[in-house]
Amino acid sequence: MPRKTKGAAKPGGFVQTTVEIEGRTETRIVEIPAFEPAAWGTDAELGIVGARVPRMDAPERVSGRARYTTDIVRPGMLHAAIVRSTIPRGTIRSLDLSRARAMPGVLDVLGPGDAPAGTRLFGREIFYAGQPIAAVCAATGHAARSAAHAIAVEYDTLPFAVTFEDATAKDAPKVRAKGNVMENAPLVISRGDMDAGLKAADVIVRREFRTPVQLHTALEPHGAVAEWEGDRLTVWESTQGIFRVRENVSKALGITLSKVRVIKDYMGGGFGAKNGAGPHTYVAALFAKRQGRAVRCINDREAEQTDSGNRPSSTQRVTIGAKKDGTLTAIFASIDVPLGISGWEGGPGQIYHELYACPNVRTEETFAYVNASGMAAFRGPGYVEGAFGLESAMNALAKELKLDPVALRVKNFAKREPRTARPYSGNSLLQCYKEGAEAFGWSHESRKPEAGSRTRVGKGMAAQVWPTGGGPPAYALVRMNSDATVDVLAGTQDLGTGARTVLSQIAAESLGAKLSDVRAIIGDTQSLPYTGNSWGSMTTASVGPAVRMAAEDARRQLFEAAGAMLDATPDALEARDSRIVVRDTDRTMTFAEVTAKLGNVMIIGKGSRGPNPADTAIMTFGAQFAEVEVDLDTGIVRVLRIVATHDAGRIINPTLAESQLEGGIIQGLGYALFEERVLDRRLGLVMNATIHDYKIPTMADIPLIDAFFVAGADPVANHTGARGIAEPPMIPTAPAIAAAVSDAIGAEVTEIPLTPWRVLAAIAAKARR
Amino acid sequence: MRLTVNGRVHTLDSALPLSLLELLRDRLALTGTKFVCGRGECGACTVQLDGETVYSCLTLAEACDGATVLTVEGLASGGGEPSLSPIQRAFIAKDAAQCGFCTPGQLMAAHTLLARNPHPTDDEIRSGMSGNLCRCGTYPKILAAVRAVADGEFAGSAEAGSVNAA
Repeated sequence: MPRKTKGAAKPGGFVQTTVEIEGRTETRIVEIPAFEPAAWGTDAELGIVGARVPRMDAPERVSGRARYTTDIVRPGMLHAAIVRSTIPRGTIRSLDLSRARAMPGVLDVLGPGDAPAGTRLFGREIFYAGQPIAAVCAATGHAARSAAHAIAVEYDTLPFAVTFEDATAKDAPKVRAKGNVMENAPLVISRGDMDAGLKAADVIVRREFRTPVQLHTALEPHGAVAEWEGDRLTVWESTQGIFRVRENVSKALGITLSKVRVIKDYMGGGFGAKNGAGPHTYVAALFAKRQGRAVRCINDREAEQTDSGNRPSSTQRVTIGAKKDGTLTAIFASIDVPLGISGWEGGPGQIYHELYACPNVRTEETFAYVNASGMAAFRGPGYVEGAFGLESAMNALAKELKLDPVALRVKNFAKREPRTARPYSGNSLLQCYKEGAEAFGWSHESRKPEAGSRTRVGKGMAAQVWPTGGGPPAYALVRMNSDATVDVLAGTQDLGTGARTVLSQIAAESLGAKLSDVRAIIGDTQSLPYTGNSWGSMTTASVGPAVRMAAEDARRQLFEAAGAMLDATPDALEARDSRIVVRDTDRTMTFAEVTAKLGNVMIIGKGSRGPNPADTAIMTFGAQFAEVEVDLDTGIVRVLRIVATHDAGRIINPTLAESQLEGGIIQGLGYALFEERVLDRRLGLVMNATIHDYKIPTMADIPLIDAFFVAGADPVANHTGARGIAEPPMIPTAPAIAAAVSDAIGAEVTEIPLTPWRVLAAIAAKARR
Repeated sequence: MRLTVNGRVHTLDSALPLSLLELLRDRLALTGTKFVCGRGECGACTVQLDGETVYSCLTLAEACDGATVLTVEGLASGGGEPSLSPIQRAFIAKDAAQCGFCTPGQLMAAHTLLARNPHPTDDEIRSGMSGNLCRCGTYPKILAAVRAVADGEFAGSAEAGSVNAA
């Protein structure tokens, strides 16, 4: 497949390429790999890639052997606890650390002025409840926590704002020093002519939608263990990006990069909140330096629920215009997002521009700062929120036009990426609509209620798009050991996604090795080549091609060596199941026979991720269909069935990918029905910072889920043919469920989560009309 | 105090101001059992105490004098993969662990559920397992794994947990 790139496209030369991360586009200068393997097209004959291989690290995970950051124990290790502000805004008048210092087991205390400026820790000015203000280091976790409670703080309080409305009111208090609204507000993205689009419409739908703050609630909290050896620092961190943690620590503490080593073996969930170092990291590193011993600092659950990132809430005022036949003429959304005290503009707006072919689209997003902990990326950031508004409005439009919601979407299918007019590397969204609708039985009527029954069944659907091309830089080595086992070395991380397994499959396929002989070694900045964060559904599409190239390079070397032993030219050789065969002969050697002869002469293949194809949109698509049952008396919603069909190019391991689909759907179900951080407007405090009070789905809430992929591969995207899949399945679930609830009760619902009282309110509002 | 954990007898100082979970993790270095909420809300710390599941974070260590405890580390009958218990092999085969942090608790809950009720209905599995939270959303696969063991799919000491399938 010819690959178009900007600049001199010769091996070893450097070119400019674009990479889309969490909806943002970044331009990078990257080297063109020395060679690029021929792409695995749709009809490539592959045995291990595409196979339902069990997760290779599952034995560790089911036996208790898997070591998470919270399990790391170092000789003489100490424990740290962080003290946090109990008010949302003000200044510290006095902070008495002496009682804590005098408590048994306490060795050290850090307060205002004690941390390097780069850490931005322990300031006297308070911007949100939960802000770190001091820390204690003790011999045991108990002692550290007890001492943290003993620290007496007096505050001078200031007025605060924790809602968008309060922060943007005329006489709003100063949320922070630099203004309550993000600069250049509103952020406007626009194409075409909105007035003309609305004028051309036969039908116009106007709605306001609201989405809640969602908390990641990873079961393993943020945490780090830090240990110094001279001027070298090792950090064990529960993170999605070991190299980014290294960079953060290096900058914050003023240590050169190569003297910081970050290790992450296993982690207990990330979902977007663990993309860098945090206060816990710096506290552990600072105490470890001062005490000359290893220090562990792990968030407690309250800190994890109040100050480790969140999906911000949104209000979306949507106007959609269409012709009678369903052709969209205008999409407009005015969107308010309260970010917390910090954050980025990963807003709901993007998906309004990307899902449908519509000539006139405009979004105006205002991001406000409020006195609450800052937001962080959360699985499909912006797109999950935006899909609820856009897709709910599309479903309202379908009803208005008396069109089938699937037909309305098919009518407005975008043949090119509508925002930039770039061609897609591949797009099977129409296939997703078709196969999903068939699997669901979309054309059948919902079950009618029995006479006298107070439950109603309804159905709904929604679609999804998300940029998943991945990209450079990412490097890998494939090393053949003298016992003929194979190590894949890449500085990436497995969040529970299956990266170890998927990368091993790609290496085994490319090298012709038995999968059981291959092991992926990941998660250490000191000994492994660079790869980026595991965010933006990027790992497989970024690291996979680098691993494939490294394995092909190793195979080339192996064939050179074996050719001499087998009296054949390397191009006459084939490898499978760790055995080399001279084509059309009975001459053969196992990998082990070759490596035995080589002794300690090593075969090391090197691979890197090449640039992305120029001017091409690389996206993952999908459609989801939901069936729900609503109890009209209690307002309780039960999701009965979800059918999900997605297109992510080649699926390296269908079993693991389906697990990701189910996981995304279940988090989307929680977002639709239960999950909502409650931040009291008058107190400025989080009222449900426990797992009991912040409801995530349990096994009893899970519907029948039929989640699958449309067949195919995407050889334009990269030479493995795979795109990303981690975030997309969460995007359409909530609007599909909301549409099903609307269908069941015969009244629209425009705010999630659909708690019983919101459903009852919608039923009551309908009765009043 | 004396405590039998995974078949080994431990003699420990009495008056330990510890939870059973802290005793297991910090004193006995059995870190398979996880701390998540510390308040009996999530099930990650589930172990078997004298044959019953308990939240080890809410169980006082001292109250376990003379008791027998089974943790995830004790589920396998010996060392190595072929000796993994049926429920562990089922979790591998059905892909019932994503990040794996809740998995030790899920396994102990499932193991105890099946010991008490070897042939549960799907609804009995759902209610029996709903005290164990999983944020990755692995529930359909966990249900499938428990179902498979109940249906006898993993009876005997097969090598179903092997990763040599391809």
